[in-house]
Amino acid sequence: MRLLVYGLIALVAVGCSSGKKPDEQAFLQSLDSAKNVGPGVDEEVINSILEQIPSPIEISMLLKESGSRYSPEILNSTSNLPKYNSNYKKALNLGIYGTDLGYTNIYGQNQDGIKYISSIKSLADDLNIGQFFDVETIGRLATNSKNLDSLLLITTMNFNHINHYLQSQSRDNLSVLLLTGGWLEAIQITCQAAAKNPNNLELQEKIGEQKIILEQILLLFSFYEGDENMASLETDLNQLKAAFDKVNINYTYKESTMEIVNGVAVIKDNSTTTIDIKPENIEEIRNLTNSIRNKIIS
Amino acid sequence: MKKILFSVFCLSLLAFTSIDYSDQTCDSENLANACIPKLASGFNFLKSYKVDGLAKEKVEYSYVFTKGTQYMINVCGSGTNTDGIVVSIFDKERNKVATSKINGQFISAISYPCNATGIYYIQYTFDEPSTHCGGSALGFKR
Repeated sequence: MRLLVYGLIALVAVGCSSGKKPDEQAFLQSLDSAKNVGPGVDEEVINSILEQIPSPIEISMLLKESGSRYSPEILNSTSNLPKYNSNYKKALNLGIYGTDLGYTNIYGQNQDGIKYISSIKSLADDLNIGQFFDVETIGRLATNSKNLDSLLLITTMNFNHINHYLQSQSRDNLSVLLLTGGWLEAIQITCQAAAKNPNNLELQEKIGEQKIILEQILLLFSFYEGDENMASLETDLNQLKAAFDKVNINYTYKESTMEIVNGVAVIKDNSTTTIDIKPENIEEIRNLTNSIRNKIIS
Repeated sequence: MKKILFSVFCLSLLAFTSIDYSDQTCDSENLANACIPKLASGFNFLKSYKVDGLAKEKVEYSYVFTKGTQYMINVCGSGTNTDGIVVSIFDKERNKVATSKINGQFISAISYPCNATGIYYIQYTFDEPSTHCGGSALGFKR
């Protein structure tokens, strides 16, 4: 009798330990096998650097206001989606498609936007973060160009939630890839726009400014040198850094002034930066960016 | 004896006046979310920040501000408007370039038209009385 009871207990114990829910199994499979963070690196440090990286939407807004025309051919086609079969590629291209979505939204290209929404949802689901992407609301808002403010708000919030979730789950390597993909696509779009508008100094300066962001991205990548894929991308990004090293950014601090206007403290920033970037620098940066990006999207 | 009693009295007074937040909780995420719709019209949302100062004197984040872009950062406290939360912006060299406390007045938002691209530090401090708990939102417009 005792043996029977022990046997039953053992059976139940084995049964309980091996039975994982399907979604939990899928989640575990989706985790990258590579080590996420090097020894002694505080995740708070990584998260604080991740938070610094600006949203690609700032660049998209600048492009539209610069008079650059909508150019869908420079975006990553959604037909490339089936090619992305590793978490590494999925995370990078999730970032890329995120930038492309923001670009289509700002130009009011709703039909293209819907394709990107679908691709983003697919990649996010594969990475087990699809629950943060409100496809229904975004899709509804995308059908009407009057909803641009709300559309940008929801999309930005969704991507912020995705990043915070990945960081909280110690999957910050995917967050780094997502942000890097988004940034690379933004700089690629800017470079293409600058090539079509060679007299637009603001676009040229915008490219030069990316030197600052690339330095932070490379700092993040330095924490993942144990990951073969990330180490390979880091090598490529270091080549890009060598091109940016030829760009000079000079910062001059001057005390700012402020006044209260309608209950808001309005600052007058008297500091300046000058960005010294030559056409040959821009061409080198454009070529290297294209090369790195093409590796990622192919 | 009098000196001992006086010392004990002073120490007790110190213990009572030190504010211990360890048993409090801070729902800074909800406060940060509440701050988003309070960004002035025309500003596009970028990020929200949790301001949980229960265990620290200051809370700090950083962001790359770019030249030619106007940023707005607001503060939302629990209860009263800003609940003594002061937001200040420092440049990469730690020069203070903006603050929301002006002449003793607590302002709920800073508008910062950036003229110099770089890493900026967004720091939240607490002027008593304050629950040391709040949220903040960052937006931009061109």
